[in-house]
Amino acid sequence: MAERWTQDVKPFLAKWALVAVPYLWSLLFFLAPFLIILKISLSQTAIAMPPYVPVIGSLGDFWAKLSDFTFDNYVFLTEDPLYYSAYLSSLRIALVSTILLLIVGYPIAYGMARAPKSLRNALVMAVILPFWTSFLIRVYAWIGILKPEGLITIALQSLGILGPDEQIHVYNTETAVFIGIVYSYLPFMVLPLYAALEKLDATLLEAAADLGCPPTKSFWVITFPLSLPGVIAGCFLCFIPIVGEFVIPDLLGGSETLMIGKTLWAEFFNNRDWPVSSAVAVVLLIILVVPIVIFQNQQKKA
Amino acid sequence: MVRQRLLGAAALTVALATGAAAQEKVVNVYNWSDYIDESVLEEFTKETGIKVVYDVFDNQDIVETKMLAGGSGYDVVVITGPFLARQIAAGVYQPLDKSKLPNLSNMGPEVTNRVAEYDPGNEYGVDYMWGTTGIGYNVEKIKAIMPDAPVNSWDMVFKPEIVSKFKDCGVQFLDASEELIPAALKYLGKDPDSKDAADMEEAGKLLASVKPYVQKFHSSEYINALANGDICLAVGYSGDILQARNRAAEANNGVTINYVIPKEGANMWFDIMAIPKDAPNPDAAHAFMNFMMKPEVIAKSTNYVAYANGNLASQKFVDPAILADTAIYPDKETLANLFSTTPYDAKAQRVLTRVWTSVKTGM
Amino acid sequence: MIEAVGPIKRKFAPWDDPTLKPFIRFENVTKRFGDFTAVDNLTLDIYEREFFALLGPSGCGKTTLMRMLAGFEQPTEGRILLDGKDLSGIPPYKRPVNMMFQSYALFPHMTVEGNIAFGLKQEGMDTSNINTRVAEMLELVKLEKFAKRKPHQLSGGQRQRVALARSLAKRPKVLLLDEPLGALDRKLREETQFELMDIQMELGMTFLIVTHDQEEAMTVSDRIAVMNHGIIAQIGTASEIYEQPASRYVADFVGDINLIDGTVTAVDDDNVTLHCAGVDATIVAEAGAGEVAVGAEAGFAIRPEKVQISLEAPPAGTPNVLSGEVWDIGYLGDISVYRVRLAGGSIVKATVANLTRIVERPITWEDKVYLTWPADAGVILLK
Ligand SMILES: Nc1ncnc2c1ncn2[C@@H]1O[C@H](COP(=O)(O)OP(=O)(O)OP(=O)(O)O)[C@@H](O)[C@H]1O
Ligand SMILES: [Mg+2]
Repeated sequence: MAERWTQDVKPFLAKWALVAVPYLWSLLFFLAPFLIILKISLSQTAIAMPPYVPVIGSLGDFWAKLSDFTFDNYVFLTEDPLYYSAYLSSLRIALVSTILLLIVGYPIAYGMARAPKSLRNALVMAVILPFWTSFLIRVYAWIGILKPEGLITIALQSLGILGPDEQIHVYNTETAVFIGIVYSYLPFMVLPLYAALEKLDATLLEAAADLGCPPTKSFWVITFPLSLPGVIAGCFLCFIPIVGEFVIPDLLGGSETLMIGKTLWAEFFNNRDWPVSSAVAVVLLIILVVPIVIFQNQQKKA
Repeated sequence: MVRQRLLGAAALTVALATGAAAQEKVVNVYNWSDYIDESVLEEFTKETGIKVVYDVFDNQDIVETKMLAGGSGYDVVVITGPFLARQIAAGVYQPLDKSKLPNLSNMGPEVTNRVAEYDPGNEYGVDYMWGTTGIGYNVEKIKAIMPDAPVNSWDMVFKPEIVSKFKDCGVQFLDASEELIPAALKYLGKDPDSKDAADMEEAGKLLASVKPYVQKFHSSEYINALANGDICLAVGYSGDILQARNRAAEANNGVTINYVIPKEGANMWFDIMAIPKDAPNPDAAHAFMNFMMKPEVIAKSTNYVAYANGNLASQKFVDPAILADTAIYPDKETLANLFSTTPYDAKAQRVLTRVWTSVKTGM
Repeated sequence: MIEAVGPIKRKFAPWDDPTLKPFIRFENVTKRFGDFTAVDNLTLDIYEREFFALLGPSGCGKTTLMRMLAGFEQPTEGRILLDGKDLSGIPPYKRPVNMMFQSYALFPHMTVEGNIAFGLKQEGMDTSNINTRVAEMLELVKLEKFAKRKPHQLSGGQRQRVALARSLAKRPKVLLLDEPLGALDRKLREETQFELMDIQMELGMTFLIVTHDQEEAMTVSDRIAVMNHGIIAQIGTASEIYEQPASRYVADFVGDINLIDGTVTAVDDDNVTLHCAGVDATIVAEAGAGEVAVGAEAGFAIRPEKVQISLEAPPAGTPNVLSGEVWDIGYLGDISVYRVRLAGGSIVKATVANLTRIVERPITWEDKVYLTWPADAGVILLK
């Protein structure tokens, strides 16, 4: 009996325990919260604690109250163009930001990967370093830089590029939002790109040159295609959270910068409408998850 | 109402009593940031032996979310009238045991009656401080741009011809629909407390017409911006603008800030202390509230934060300069012009938020 | 398909023709990495259409030499000329030189076909010609069936063949092969060696090959350079290197050799007399490179296959006789190697062709044997 335990059962359990960890993790921290949100999105607001009905106390309750669930909140989202525009505007801002991040992040990652080995760790540290101060304070600092009386204006004035009465009006515009996003998310773009580029064997570029390929071209036919896994990882890592970004547009953006994060905030905190805000969140998740799943399937086939 | 100093310092827990033993009596207080003279808390501990765990917030939408979720662990919460009313309806608070609050007799009828609009019969709450929502401006800059500016009227911010003049020197509005829409309604000659969708939409139109001249809708930035001279006009809370005035004076940077209650009338709001139903230490909570109603104690806080309180007996302890400042303690005439708003029900709230969103985004 | 070209190797010795200019010229080239000298003041001429092999121990600078020619490294001193033109400042992608990398450097994201076609595309060759050339190359390296695979789906030897095909596809004027066949099995390697020789001759290309297989170097190349620590120890045809090693280093490095130390006792005309006290013998042989003077310390070098082994004592007076005892016998199939222990304890190797299938050996362990050789079979090398 004991023998069977050590020979068959134990390794079997050990193997499954190992596999089970990530599943348990997802179950606990993704699936369970998601199901709660989904349930709230099918409920109705009420002046109560918590501010919605029905409240499910037990599993038996669940079946009894099933008929109380409603898709009204989802229907509501389709009735006001606000939500549609907010989703679209968030996707647009996330897309533009991600492209900007790629354009800014790639040369940085490339430079890091080509730097002497002894310098690389220091450079990686330099990229991570800003994380050691609070994100909020860093975004706040941008206000001081971008505001009309801020550092940029002062710098340009003292360089004589701007007259003493001229100012840079970037703060409270979408441009400021892009600047803030690119600044805040840069490490998420640079690090995966760096990881991919660092792995790249430099002799491949020599081989390309040897076969008559000039450096600029070999970048596009060798370096870039081989860094694609990093590009994709970086873009996902940035795009997804940017779509739901709230703090940066709130602090740096003008009031007309419409983003789903702000809409969600207003639903949840101003309207105190938990069900509608949950519906907004569920739709956001679907918008993000479905394309990723499709993409991954495509990747597997390829 | 936001009275924050620095964003991100959201929950600064101040444990004041020293040498806390496990069995020590405590009271957990949740209040706006920068809204008390903290020496008052030490005095309370000295007098009662109850330790104060003092937590602060700067956005009461978040407070409401916490309260509605339940189990917040607070014993005393300070919250603004309409929020209190709604949360009472949701069953968040417990009725006060007035036998434990002998100092209630110090409260003045004027404020108590107004608070009763949110809390019928004053069963759940006691006023902590109150203030108004009006206009703050940079005296020199306004004078330079428009010497005859109607500084004591909502015209300053609601008349496009006028407010457009100040666009370049900077105009900010509170990002608070429940303040700006009633003010706009009042300016339009309508009931500022109207919950009628058409009325709110009309107010929204007025606000949208001046929106192009508004640099930002934000609930706290204007304090620094006014004080630094970055902007010259703001719709904000009385105490916050007075704070900006004091900061500018301290910095001696050539900026003079003034606060006015527009002659058309302005919102008068109340921050009210209440005890959650699930408060772990209701006795200590009552003791704390009673202590805060001591005339010397509340006067000390008023002197510190430059907001008026509803404690009539405290007025002889209030700094005469503050008592005489009509921006803080308005005269009878002005007081008659102040209005208050009642809570919005879910439907009205949705209309309000939607109107506000369309003011800000054009959507 | 490249046709096999007639009987192998015409008389080809451009290096003996003083009127011919070298095609590739390393002129006093030095390459230093930090304070380490990888190539040391090296001068080397390679002629057009030559198949030139570099031989030398690991780390002696063979790859570095090639990389300088391909343009990946700049000489620290000296210059490299190709067809009379100084190559310095010309980037690798403009040099008419292709290199097959020791590490293959296949493009992992391209198929076998894509890899082979890569260089042709850079030239702007049209698609149909590319396809023909690629098919030709695939056939050459016997990878037709693997055309659509990616490098990570191939075995080590298959990858090496792709790398070879890729470097050959462009038919460059100069092809640098850095250990091109090391991962192939013996049979495939021999076939490919001959294919390479055919291609080289048919297309009139100049090949520079690095190999650790001496037999391969001797088979394919017109000349061989033996390198040692960044310098060239000897350049010559296979037989020159093998039969007339210029130094003990070369003699020792190339092939198998017996070295018997002694002191020069007489020098006349072509012959040198060496007294070998250690083995108690006197040896007379031709002098190798360098001046040999009486009294000098020198060694007698002789290849094992030139040593005859016999049980009977040679007639008295026969010069160049050593005697000893069979210490060990190695059977290698075609030959057997006898290790004979001489009086002083040193070992001399003699190989004997296994001409018959007789299992019973005439000479066996612990037999007393006599070793002899023709007068011109060995050479005297200075220490
Ligand atoms: N980039 C470099 N930096 C420092 N040292 C180098 C560099 N490249 C080569 N070397 C050194 O130069 C010497 C010659 O290297 P090279 O690669 O030419 O040897 P090789 O003859 O090709 O050896 P192998 O037969 O092992 O391939 C070696 O000692 C090597 O360590
Ligand atoms: Mg090498």
